[in-house]
Amino acid sequence: MIRFVAHRFVSMLFVLFSISVLAFLIFFATPGVDPAARIAGRNADQATLRAVRHDFGLDKPLPVRYALMMKKLFVTRDLTSYVNRGAKVIPQVTQAAPVTLSLVFGAAIIWVLASIGMGMLAGVFRGKPIDTVVMVVGLIGISMPVFWLGEVVNLFTQSRLHGSVFSWVPPLGYVPFSHSPFGWFKSLIFPWLTLSILYIGIYARVLRSAIVEAQEEDYVRTARAKGLTERRVLFRHALRTSLIGFVSLFGLDFGALVGGGALLTEVVFNLHGVGKLTYDSLQNLDLPVILATVIYAAFFVVVANAVVDLVYAWLDPRVRRA
Amino acid sequence: MSGAIVGEVPAEAGDLAAVAVGPWQLARRRLLRNRVALGMAGLLVVIVVLCLCAPLYADHVAHTDPFRSNVSGTTIVNGKPVPVMKSSTQGLGLGVTPIGPTWDIHHYFLGADEQGRDVAARLLYGGRNSLLIGTSAALITCFLALLVGGVAGFFGGIVDGVLSRILDVVWAFPVYLLAISLSTVLIARGLSFGPIHLTSGSLLLPIAIIGLVYIPYVARPIRGEVLSIRRREFVEAAIGLGASNWRLLWSDVLPNVITTAIVLFPLMLAIDMLTEAALSFLSIGVQEPNASWGTIILDGQDVLYTRPAVALAPGIAIALTVLALNVLGDGIRDALDPRAKLRRTDS
Amino acid sequence: MRDRKALVAVLLVAAAAVYAAGSSSARTNDHRGGTLKLLAKAAGGTLDPQVNYTLEYWQLYQASYDGLLAFKKAGGNAAFDVVPDLASGYKIRNGGKTWVFNLRKGIKFSNGQPLTTKDVVASFQRIFKVKSPTSGSFYQGIIGASKCLKTPATCTLAGGVIGNAKNNTVTINLTAPDPEFKYKLAVPHASIVPANSPASDAGTKPLPTTGAYYFASYDPNKALVMKRNPYFKEWSHAAMPAGYPDQITQSYGLTVESQITAIENGQADWTLEAPPADRLNELGTKHADQTHVETLTAFWYAPMNVNIPPFNSLKARQAVNYAIDRNALVKIFGGPKLAVPSCQVLPPGFPGNKPYCPYTKNPGTKWSAPDVAKAKKLVQESGQKGAKVVVISPDDEVQKAVGVYLASVLNQIGFKASSKTISGNIAFTYAQNTKNKVQINVQQWYQDYPAASDFLNVLFGCDSFHPGSDSSINMAGFCNKPIDKQMHRALKLEQTNFPAANALWAKIDHQVTDQAPMATLFTPRHIDFVSKRVGNFVFSKQFYWLVDQSWVQ
Repeated sequence: MIRFVAHRFVSMLFVLFSISVLAFLIFFATPGVDPAARIAGRNADQATLRAVRHDFGLDKPLPVRYALMMKKLFVTRDLTSYVNRGAKVIPQVTQAAPVTLSLVFGAAIIWVLASIGMGMLAGVFRGKPIDTVVMVVGLIGISMPVFWLGEVVNLFTQSRLHGSVFSWVPPLGYVPFSHSPFGWFKSLIFPWLTLSILYIGIYARVLRSAIVEAQEEDYVRTARAKGLTERRVLFRHALRTSLIGFVSLFGLDFGALVGGGALLTEVVFNLHGVGKLTYDSLQNLDLPVILATVIYAAFFVVVANAVVDLVYAWLDPRVRRA
Repeated sequence: MSGAIVGEVPAEAGDLAAVAVGPWQLARRRLLRNRVALGMAGLLVVIVVLCLCAPLYADHVAHTDPFRSNVSGTTIVNGKPVPVMKSSTQGLGLGVTPIGPTWDIHHYFLGADEQGRDVAARLLYGGRNSLLIGTSAALITCFLALLVGGVAGFFGGIVDGVLSRILDVVWAFPVYLLAISLSTVLIARGLSFGPIHLTSGSLLLPIAIIGLVYIPYVARPIRGEVLSIRRREFVEAAIGLGASNWRLLWSDVLPNVITTAIVLFPLMLAIDMLTEAALSFLSIGVQEPNASWGTIILDGQDVLYTRPAVALAPGIAIALTVLALNVLGDGIRDALDPRAKLRRTDS
Repeated sequence: MRDRKALVAVLLVAAAAVYAAGSSSARTNDHRGGTLKLLAKAAGGTLDPQVNYTLEYWQLYQASYDGLLAFKKAGGNAAFDVVPDLASGYKIRNGGKTWVFNLRKGIKFSNGQPLTTKDVVASFQRIFKVKSPTSGSFYQGIIGASKCLKTPATCTLAGGVIGNAKNNTVTINLTAPDPEFKYKLAVPHASIVPANSPASDAGTKPLPTTGAYYFASYDPNKALVMKRNPYFKEWSHAAMPAGYPDQITQSYGLTVESQITAIENGQADWTLEAPPADRLNELGTKHADQTHVETLTAFWYAPMNVNIPPFNSLKARQAVNYAIDRNALVKIFGGPKLAVPSCQVLPPGFPGNKPYCPYTKNPGTKWSAPDVAKAKKLVQESGQKGAKVVVISPDDEVQKAVGVYLASVLNQIGFKASSKTISGNIAFTYAQNTKNKVQINVQQWYQDYPAASDFLNVLFGCDSFHPGSDSSINMAGFCNKPIDKQMHRALKLEQTNFPAANALWAKIDHQVTDQAPMATLFTPRHIDFVSKRVGNFVFSKQFYWLVDQSWVQ
């Protein structure tokens, strides 16, 4: 167990290092990103340009620049933005994190519960009309681009029907839980629903096909032969191994979302989370913030992978033995 | 479930003969009996054919060039010529509104976009690109994921460790940054990888990016399956008999895993089409003058409040195609399930 | 008894009447108070007035920072007048090379510090210490500036800016007379800040102000808050008037569509961003009284790189000018009420502008229709037919649409054109660097101050062309020696004979237009959409909507 954790910790460092180097290289390979000219402003004197570039340390060789930036980010923790000069990067990320976590946890609860319900319904009544109906509803959800869906939702809740049905919907933006729990809930309900629609269909399908398969497995047939009720069979035996595929997928998706993967949702609903920070930094080509958000996201992805592997071993004893 | 009992031989006489036939032929027959899946396959064929006929539609039916700006042009509605882009005359007289859907297949069936171009014609051309990108990317993903996942799961140890870490890097990779950077770099000059030459507007770019980025998504489940297959008795037995690793991979592991890949393929196609829409929405996917359903949604954002049809049409097109793909995928999965041999055919 | 009761009743009624009168007058009292809520897509970068070069914050600086001089805070063209601000008056001596300013007494910064001549001198040194974008273009004429540009950290401007605490005067000595210098003192880069301000870009830490408002807080990811300056007493209504709202906030992050909806719902008061094309009709009809349209001294143009094919051929460039249907572009921009076709550099009404348009069916003073046949012929003659062209534009809605349209036109007349978009944040620097080999792109230029040189010399002068640099605003790479000589002559003429100089600028404008290093597209109009409760909308042509001169209650 200790060896497993240590091993994964080392590989996590490797992954974070590679990602940061790659992001750094890609950034400087892009033409037009030199922050000096953008900061120096329009029609800046060439001398001014040189001086500003020196301020940023951009006249130093690439590896030195990388090392300096990493030092500022991790050691002295005072890395500042290229575009919003003076704004420290790390506080921006820590302030954005609770927003993303609120969005992702809420959406995850909704989609997990809904997909379990739908998946079981479809799997148990397989072949009957309700199976098709449930699957089609789920499929419609995953077929729509999330940014498009979000804009359409806003069109109705903020504009067309704002005067009547949706007058209770607050203006777009995040209300901190500490300010007002009810306001927090109201500001997040539509983002939650929009984000979860994307995943419900997929997870319901995965669960359904896993249930159907598991029901054919030997150990389930054994359980039935032993005389256990259908319900017991389903919950204690079939569901357990069905969950493996479900958990594996969930780990990947959830990890990516916590790290800021829901960026289009955050942008459309004006939630200043890590995803929106990532999106803004990419639009601005603001390298310090890009590096911080990329490393933040990678961290969660890697941790999620490790956790999923652990859970996988726990859920499927066959793998554990290996 | 109608209570099939362990080991029951299928009741239909026709299946007795089928037992002597190979599993693929059996799957085909099963698929052909699934009417819903067949219906969806038919829908897909209709969509693909319509999109392939885009040039025919544009030239001979609608008489329009959907890639040329037509801001000052006119068209015929109810026999009378009307401007394609109408300036507002009420109030302060601000704004210019494109013509809305005319429901006349010869003249701006779905209306015009913000450049005065025929949306219906662009939708068909866009479909060609979206389907092409989705299919190619999904093929790349599934093929490479089979390779990577299979090797990682089968050999285990260091190989698995290294491959899994590489997959982690790929999954955590800042895709949007890469896409932005590549699209900017390629404007000034192209990139060459041997015979493949990439320029800024090339469709290979989104195909490659989307295809490569989702490899971990498919490789992980495949790796998991390979891991559990590896431990099964028949594999242990084959190893005991002295079979070489590669032969085992090819003849024993792969056929069992390939069904997973085949089932995941339509799912990946759907995800890839949605990802292409997202990239094009951020202007880093398909570039002008090419159009795709994603770029048309982006165009539609500009006129969302006055002409929602421009954004709705490609969204619905994507939804229908993806729906059809998924139902078909389900049918394929049902048909391919090896344990179906022992099941009653009322499923 | 009855009289007593009656007396009490009368007194009560009288008291009630007085009370009612008093409270209603308190309610309709001079509109002061309330919070003005502004919106923008994103923050505007550093808040340091000597570094920031965005309209977003220049609009807010006019209510907060002061220079020795200031543009008049009035509507329309009166806004181009320069009036004394922190200086009570000034004299120009020595043939225009010496400017002596009398500093006002009794002005305090928002942190309580009194304003002294030391602060003024330090502020001018600071322009170079913080490497202000215009330190080299606006202020290089001050004695000692060239040394400061070389070694900014130790800038003293010795002999250039001299403060006399006893007489309370500040003297500025120039190397040569500069009639445009008064404008340069009135822009935010010449704001006076405390002498003890940090000698580097202040970034997100606001510097104390002398004006009606100060910056209470600034978070570039969320919002900016301005509050009334407690130490401010209005000394010149023309230069720095007291404001109406008690607080002004600018919030970031909403998409433009949502911003418009928020203003319609009364959740915010104004947005910096141009309304999206599909909301314009709605604004012009349902909210006509909240929508204000103003002409700008600016132009949209497409610079063409004269040093690489195909636009190194004069005929090819002229062909593009003939082929563009400027009415179509006007439609893309939002209709004839929002843009006016144009062919030349200087905008209409600008000093030095004489209407001129050769690139139309009936050449004369106005554009009427494109001449596509002539354009095709010119392309044929130029030998550039079939050449590949890439049109670059930033990726926002309107500029992208303009780029797509231009590519379409180029294809029509015989080129093989395609349009490419680049992220809005790097498009400007990308297009300037000759290494990127940009052939044609979509640009706008808004004036810094009302002088023809700000358009012609800055955009098309040889001095503005720096190959291989991200800052080479002469994107066409146009360096025509005879025209350049004339521009230098006109600059010199401004010192003695302004009308003659303007006449010369008019000629230069026509000559540059004939050489076609760019295709001028149109003159834009600016839309401001405010909420119902905003009153007294005043638009200054220099800094646009005077934010604090409107009230919210």
